[in-house]
Amino acid sequence: MKKLQLKIGITVLICVMVLMVAVGFGTVRIEPANIFAIFGHKLFALELPSEISDNIASIFWTMRLPRAIAAFLVGAALAVTGTVMQSVLRNPLASSYTLGVSSGASLGVALMVVFGISLPFIGNFSLPMIGFVFGLGTVLLAMAMAMQLDKNLENQTIILIGMVLSLFVSSMLTILIVLSKEHMEQIIFWQMGSFSAIKWSHVQVLLMIIIPGILFLMYFAQEMDIMTFGEEQAISVGIDMRRMKIILITASALLTGTAVAFVGIIGFIDLIAPHVVRKIYGASHRIVVPMSALFGGAFMTLADMVSRTIISPSELPIGAVTTLIGAPFFAYVYFSKRGVKRHA
Amino acid sequence: MKRNLKQYVAVLLILMFAFTACTSPSTSPSTTEQTETTANTEASTNTQEQPSAQDTEEATESDETTDTDRAGNPITLPDNIERVISFAPSMTQVIEELGFLDKLVAVDTQSPKYVDGVDGLPQFNMMTPDIEALAALEPDVMFVSGMSLAKGDNPFEQLVELGICVIMIPSSTSIEGVKEDNQFIADVMGASAKGQEINQKMQERIDAIAAIGTTIEDKKTVMFEIAALPNIYSFGQETFLHEMIELIGANNAFADEESWISVSEEAAVAKNPDVILTNVSYIEDSVGEILARTGWENVKAVQEKNVYYIDNGKSSLSNHHIVEALEEMAKAVYPDEYSALSE
Repeated sequence: MKKLQLKIGITVLICVMVLMVAVGFGTVRIEPANIFAIFGHKLFALELPSEISDNIASIFWTMRLPRAIAAFLVGAALAVTGTVMQSVLRNPLASSYTLGVSSGASLGVALMVVFGISLPFIGNFSLPMIGFVFGLGTVLLAMAMAMQLDKNLENQTIILIGMVLSLFVSSMLTILIVLSKEHMEQIIFWQMGSFSAIKWSHVQVLLMIIIPGILFLMYFAQEMDIMTFGEEQAISVGIDMRRMKIILITASALLTGTAVAFVGIIGFIDLIAPHVVRKIYGASHRIVVPMSALFGGAFMTLADMVSRTIISPSELPIGAVTTLIGAPFFAYVYFSKRGVKRHA
Repeated sequence: MKRNLKQYVAVLLILMFAFTACTSPSTSPSTTEQTETTANTEASTNTQEQPSAQDTEEATESDETTDTDRAGNPITLPDNIERVISFAPSMTQVIEELGFLDKLVAVDTQSPKYVDGVDGLPQFNMMTPDIEALAALEPDVMFVSGMSLAKGDNPFEQLVELGICVIMIPSSTSIEGVKEDNQFIADVMGASAKGQEINQKMQERIDAIAAIGTTIEDKKTVMFEIAALPNIYSFGQETFLHEMIELIGANNAFADEESWISVSEEAAVAKNPDVILTNVSYIEDSVGEILARTGWENVKAVQEKNVYYIDNGKSSLSNHHIVEALEEMAKAVYPDEYSALSE
């Protein structure tokens, strides 16, 4: 147990360091001391040291900081939902994306871009809103269809229906893109994912949904522990599997939908985070869920930093970076820890 | 529920196909031309290959034969050019200036947006043209831009095999290259003299700007956006827009970069430009959008409201009209210095 606490302590420390590095590096480098000075200036109206220009302060406060926080939150949300979906569906490859969040959200965004719809009252939030509604809608539709076909809501049924629906929605997206080529670039850019337009207003919404969402999922840690042993065990201790699946999958879809809606489709984190975290911290969801959040958050923040610094002044799509860093990292963790036993 | 869904989707698909049957998909002008230029950076290096045009006789029936087009492909010009297809708005504008609009038998879908009087012609998507329909029009020559090659394979090879003279003119990346493109089209059309005249007028206007530009000592830093947030695009050297910023006596904020580049918001703010120009026309108020950006309040251009719109067509289509954009840019960046410039 001591060892576990140490591990958690180190993880938290790493997260703080990653955030510090991420806000410090960019087109212009901002020293840690100056970071504190800008904080003081923005929060307590202290005077800015002369070496910090107003533009540097703006870059830090209105671009880099919200961006880093958003990356952390989105990474956390994707990692946690990946963990939950893998446990609930007892499938190491499952994630909310499998059930169509990403393809649904893409279709929604594409429809909006192509037809130039803008929702009243929410203006700039139209695109995320539509992405969210379509993403969540696709998952709910998949669940509803699975429930119709299979009273017990078997995992295979959910996954299969999810994948079929997801592919079907993707094909509609393809048709839509082919029919309106002038919007192709915009839609594809959106799909590749980016944190580049994130502002505080987005961060507020992300905070309000993702933090409670993760806490909500943590509340079901014990149920998830039991569910990973198998449906029969779970039923024998009195867990209503059908209800649990609906609750957990819907909550996960809501979280992923929110993340995808704001930053596009960023893959890989949902897939690798649970595996890496389980290798390091064991399988208990009480630990795995919050650690997934921290790991995913730190990973995404780091990946976003790479995406915006490596070919500055241009940016790489974040989706490409997560996979580029993630795949070798995953291989390393997976194979180097091979001998270590899981402790439940 | 399931049946309803199926019916709904079927209806949706049918509607989608019906919808496309009666609208011709078009490409947003700015991105089209920009990508076009990006795809062909070597264009300007081929400048030596330009055919000499001694023939000053303006004659429709040209017997001079040009060996290669602007991309270096071998071509054989027909003796008599009566039926012409233009596959890029920049070229259609040159043909218009030369006075040969009546010879056009088809254009790309973009051309009607920039040239009056070609609405009635058959229009083709420049990325995915219907080759059979093009062949059926029996053109004598067909001008195509690098954009049509963007997908990698030459979609016009079949037309060449049919004996149609397909002339590739990759969009030029320098003002000199633009002039050579103008002249090349003029030569092909047997109007070399007219081509020289167009270029000469263009050069005179450039010289007028340059005469003032070279005297300017307060060199302002200019950032020119060709795509807005969240994916800002600008350009470095080896673009005609970069040359134009230098001509008016200013500095390009991204002069240390090359070609068309995407620019992160941070990088743009860090450059702290004195003036921001934009030719973004796909959003309603591109100037207002820039002025309202959060975090940009302390950028000099935004602070002093020196953000200006430059005509999209004139600044993105690579032909003689770029001098009009050049004049717009000059007056926007240095209103006092260029106030004497005639309208």
